[in-house]
Amino acid sequence: MKHIIPVLLLALAACGAQPARTAPAATLTWAVETQPVTLNPQLWSQNKARLLVFNQFDALLSKSADGTFQPWLARAWTVSDDGLTYTLDLRDDVTFHDGTAFDAAAVKANLDQFQVPGYNPAVAAIQLRAYDRAEVVAPHRIKITLKEPDALFPDFLASPLAGQVSPKSLKNARDLKFGGPDLVGTGPFILDRYVQGQEIHYRRNPGYAWPPAGAAHQGPAHLSEITYRFLPEAAVRVGALTSGQVQVIEGVPATEVALIAKDPDLTLQTSLNSGTAYAYYFNTSHAPFDDRRVREAFREAVDVDAVLRSVYQGTATRAWSVVGSGSPFYDASLEKSYGGDAAKANALLDAAGWKERDAEGYRVKDGKRLTVREVAAAPFVRDRRDILGQAIQAQVKQNAGIDFQVRIVDQGSAQQAVDDDAYEVFGNSRGDSDAGAALNLILPSDGAINRTRFADPEVDTWLAAASATADQAERKELYARVQRVVVADSAIVFPLYVPADQIAAHRSVQGLGFDPASGTPASAYDVRIAT
Amino acid sequence: MIRRLGAGLAVLWAAATASYVALLLAPGDTVDILIGDGADTPEIRAGIIAEWGLDRPEIVQYLAYLWRLLHGDLGRSYQLQRGVGEVLAGQIGPTVQLTLAAAATGVALAAVIAIGTAGRGRWPRAAASAAELVSVSVPPFLIGIVLLSVFSFTLGWFPVSGAEGPAALVLPALALGLPIAGVLGQVLRGGLERALEQPFAVTARARGLTERALVARHALRHALLPAVTMAGWFTGALLGGAVITEVLFGRPGLGQVAMQAVTSQDMPVVMAVVLLSAVVYVTISTLLDLAYRVIDPRIRS
Repeated sequence: MKHIIPVLLLALAACGAQPARTAPAATLTWAVETQPVTLNPQLWSQNKARLLVFNQFDALLSKSADGTFQPWLARAWTVSDDGLTYTLDLRDDVTFHDGTAFDAAAVKANLDQFQVPGYNPAVAAIQLRAYDRAEVVAPHRIKITLKEPDALFPDFLASPLAGQVSPKSLKNARDLKFGGPDLVGTGPFILDRYVQGQEIHYRRNPGYAWPPAGAAHQGPAHLSEITYRFLPEAAVRVGALTSGQVQVIEGVPATEVALIAKDPDLTLQTSLNSGTAYAYYFNTSHAPFDDRRVREAFREAVDVDAVLRSVYQGTATRAWSVVGSGSPFYDASLEKSYGGDAAKANALLDAAGWKERDAEGYRVKDGKRLTVREVAAAPFVRDRRDILGQAIQAQVKQNAGIDFQVRIVDQGSAQQAVDDDAYEVFGNSRGDSDAGAALNLILPSDGAINRTRFADPEVDTWLAAASATADQAERKELYARVQRVVVADSAIVFPLYVPADQIAAHRSVQGLGFDPASGTPASAYDVRIAT
Repeated sequence: MIRRLGAGLAVLWAAATASYVALLLAPGDTVDILIGDGADTPEIRAGIIAEWGLDRPEIVQYLAYLWRLLHGDLGRSYQLQRGVGEVLAGQIGPTVQLTLAAAATGVALAAVIAIGTAGRGRWPRAAASAAELVSVSVPPFLIGIVLLSVFSFTLGWFPVSGAEGPAALVLPALALGLPIAGVLGQVLRGGLERALEQPFAVTARARGLTERALVARHALRHALLPAVTMAGWFTGALLGGAVITEVLFGRPGLGQVAMQAVTSQDMPVVMAVVLLSAVVYVTISTLLDLAYRVIDPRIRS
């Protein structure tokens, strides 16, 4: 059906007159794919909602594309030599939307809120694992003490989770966990309307004068008002854009890219996401992927470039490592080091004892077919990953006689498969702004989402060391070692493509861009309409 | 009347219990669902269990649920971080608007087509019947996309999204109403044609009544009975179709909330939507029984 729609649109566009595309000055309508599950930045969990958070809230630090941190609401900061004490000097000219002043006491109130039991258990256990206490040393100076060094702590301070909320509204918000217009921040826009299933509307904060380092301008935002419409259906978003009903859309699927690119009135921008690539993780706890040769054979049996070309029509970026190529920790030396050699795949499988073939052409050993299963939860199947799975299924069957079964099920059944160890392939990508945060969940032997069941004491040590040091160069070296082990030496992961975000817009809309920390669309602060 | 009320309440209780049991039997537990693809550690699990009281025995959770329900408290959404009552209250209005508009569109179209073509020549009937077949068999998603492509993206007559003003209601109401018009039109025309072959029609014609007056005054009343019986199906089609229509058109509403809740197994919201649907069904079927009495005097005696 998705193929029909662009053709249909083109045909119809050809026979009907295009309405004039006019946008009233300084207001903008932007169609987005995903609705936020919460408007409280401290409970934020969706990368797709990041652009909304930073309209309304500012974080303490900002993160640039090379992984370094820049001032935002904290104009300067120091870290003690033991890495345990962070002293932040805050801006003294910042006010919340409710008129209260932003100061060290506010930062402390925000950090203390995370300590409330049941408020956000995930953040308390992961991002603030090392957090001990915060002390107000001076009206605009705060000292944060950690229990152990944590290189990812600055990443938290630059994340939407550290979006500063007025302490007054933390106390008085009618529905704290959901947020809304009465949970206020210091950001360039003020939330004034949220209609679930329809739209979210912001107006400019006229007093705004504290953009992060790296912003394209100073002072209040260019737009006086901005509306984000929720249009989950991609073809409808594209149609709304081409007919001028919205000026900007995010999330342009590969099937619609050609339509946008052809239109001289529209612009298209793409950015690779930070975090980890979309990859297949091999379950090494049982046959057949307990044998390294079979894992390698699976990778060699797939011509990834050809698969990506056919599934994403040339719009996808191939991944070579578990870390996405948009991350500063990406190890480029892995490029072109494996994959796409069907002869090698067959030799490896022969050597591993999978020599016979059954009537359907699949390899067999001891009367058992070479079958591997992926059990994916439907809510997380996006980006045509189901089609990608089918393409890979066809290739491994044809090139190496591997029976790859893809099942897309509800979330509970997917969890059941994990609990029962009844899967051999796990597909995943993570959008963490620091790829190390993602690796800490996926790769250590006790990792919270270690689905490979792979355990390597050396990898554990390197990951722990990389989390404990703030030295970027040292971290890069440690993560490079980790990547070489899991991708090259042990072959427990099959990187496929680097997830990306797209923004398509009418030509008159300028200043659109991506958040350098995450590679997802940036807030509307720098966006303006050219006259 | 009291017996009907009792039966209605029993249906509601059964609906609540059945959906509770179904979700209980679904694979995976609530904690897994709440964690999703996020980080999963024992501390996070413990936090979630404490937050939602999931450590109590299932029967206690069920009874607590029924008890709260009796007090009008629908609970709190796992995913949306808000009270279910509040979530639904904000979404009922747009859905009522959409379903009423779609129902009116469906009924009006069906009536016009059926009355216009019943007993007429072969060609108008064939054309109407083909149109009905298409509107019934094409998926509502595709109908919606085609309507959008033509009337919104190309001609620019109607906006694509939102629930602002009547113009934004036209396309969704058509997309949802067309399949209903198709089925209802067929039933109505069939009924009309059977009625026009009855002896009373011959008598009426002999009295000099024009064909139009015959249809309007006599045959329609007969044809309405099977059509009204369809209204139960009709309600289901509207509620089910609202899910697709609301998501496609980016409209707020219960369908869109229900879809989100089912995919994320947001149990309190799913249960509330099931209950609400049951209430609507019970109400409509009661009203139908009353409507039969009005339409068909034979039942009254």
